[in-house]
Amino acid sequence: MTTHENTGFLYPFIESEESDATSLLDDLAASARGKAVESARLQQESLDEYAPALTEAGSQMAERFLRGGRLYTLGNGGSSTDAATLATLFSRPARGRPVAAWSLASDEAVVTALGNDVGFELIFKRQIIAHARDRDVAIALSTSGNSEDLMSAITEAKQRGLLTIGFSGHDGGRMAAAEDLDFCYTVHSQSIHRIQESHAILGYRLWSVTQEHMARPMSGTHA
Amino acid sequence: MTTTAQLGGSYIGVELSADLAAAALDLARRFHDGATLWVISPQWEPHAHHVAVEFVHPVIMGKRALPSVALVEPDPVAQARVASQPGDLLIAVASADEPAVLDAMRRAAAWGVLTLWIGSGPRPPAGAANHILWIDSEDPMVPATGTFVLMYHLLWELTHVCFEHPGLLKSPTDECTDDVCVTCSDEGRLGEVLLEPVDGQALVRTAKGEEWVDTTVLGEVLVNDLILVHAGAAITRLEVNP
Repeated sequence: MTTHENTGFLYPFIESEESDATSLLDDLAASARGKAVESARLQQESLDEYAPALTEAGSQMAERFLRGGRLYTLGNGGSSTDAATLATLFSRPARGRPVAAWSLASDEAVVTALGNDVGFELIFKRQIIAHARDRDVAIALSTSGNSEDLMSAITEAKQRGLLTIGFSGHDGGRMAAAEDLDFCYTVHSQSIHRIQESHAILGYRLWSVTQEHMARPMSGTHA
Repeated sequence: MTTTAQLGGSYIGVELSADLAAAALDLARRFHDGATLWVISPQWEPHAHHVAVEFVHPVIMGKRALPSVALVEPDPVAQARVASQPGDLLIAVASADEPAVLDAMRRAAAWGVLTLWIGSGPRPPAGAANHILWIDSEDPMVPATGTFVLMYHLLWELTHVCFEHPGLLKSPTDECTDDVCVTCSDEGRLGEVLLEPVDGQALVRTAKGEEWVDTTVLGEVLVNDLILVHAGAAITRLEVNP
């Protein structure tokens, strides 16, 4: 059909007989660079917006670690893996002082036991009840800011005297309005991917500030 | 002063973006043909889990769920060996000196598995994986700054763009014809020994499947040895740690 032959170039995206990948590869590479630029822009914007609050939270975390506090990180799905990466950054950093930290999603026996027996929305809260002391820290990561399992755990953590920190996205969701969060960093984006990338750099900055405070000579002795 | 990290997006230049594009097209082609994506990250298990959940449970409604599994047991090579089948995919997120990843990447050709290696720091040698997606930075903190997360997010996003181009999902290897294609010829294929030889014949796994191979020229042959197969015979053994 000659009509098709003549106009096919107008509709590359519906062309099932497309056989030369060159232009697709060019488009993909350009798309990757565009998304990378947006990722870096959003990371910088988030770091700038929350610089004072990150410094304050990091110094409070350092003070708690020096008193023997430990860090719990919480998240669902991809954010649970980012929570685990953040916990590992604190507990097993490539440089600096390690401190006790772990992700509350990392033990499948505990998570499935709680999910099955008391309900998924309590998988983190029940662990907070079991583990937490008043000198500890809880960091919750959610791209929506609305996850019920995180919110109930944060409320419990706040009641037990923990320092509570939330990483949120979109419009901040329930996290942005939660009185139980001492600090809430909302990454203003509609893309879950870009939000997660910014959560990572915010967590990294928090770790950096904490390390800096823990390396400072302090007067007196620590309990 | 507070440690500052270079932002991940700043590393994605012309070269790395082209590498990501080529890798994504290969991912899409293999998924199209029924591949499962295996993921290993012995130093940073959460990255393996993040890649797997990305493909299994897409963040964008309506995108295809694709088979992907994080292999995080203490011996990821043993896990990948038994899990993978010809046509599958393997992504490693690891530094270039991670022994288990080096080993898995060498063996993947015998398993018929296409490999991608994401990392930072000194590069793996050229050809160590089918696609090397690398951040050229000496900063040991790169794995914790979201930069790897950005890279596998981009891979996922680009892979799904490829699905909108069905005409390009046909693997080039489908077009091989006899006698002219090195990939399909018998010049010396990598094999992994499945069963030790009986009467000089060992059962060997190659990208084409399983076959009995004459190993008489090699002397002692053990399970999991890597050998080169030519015309039905093993012609040499590859050292495990060259």
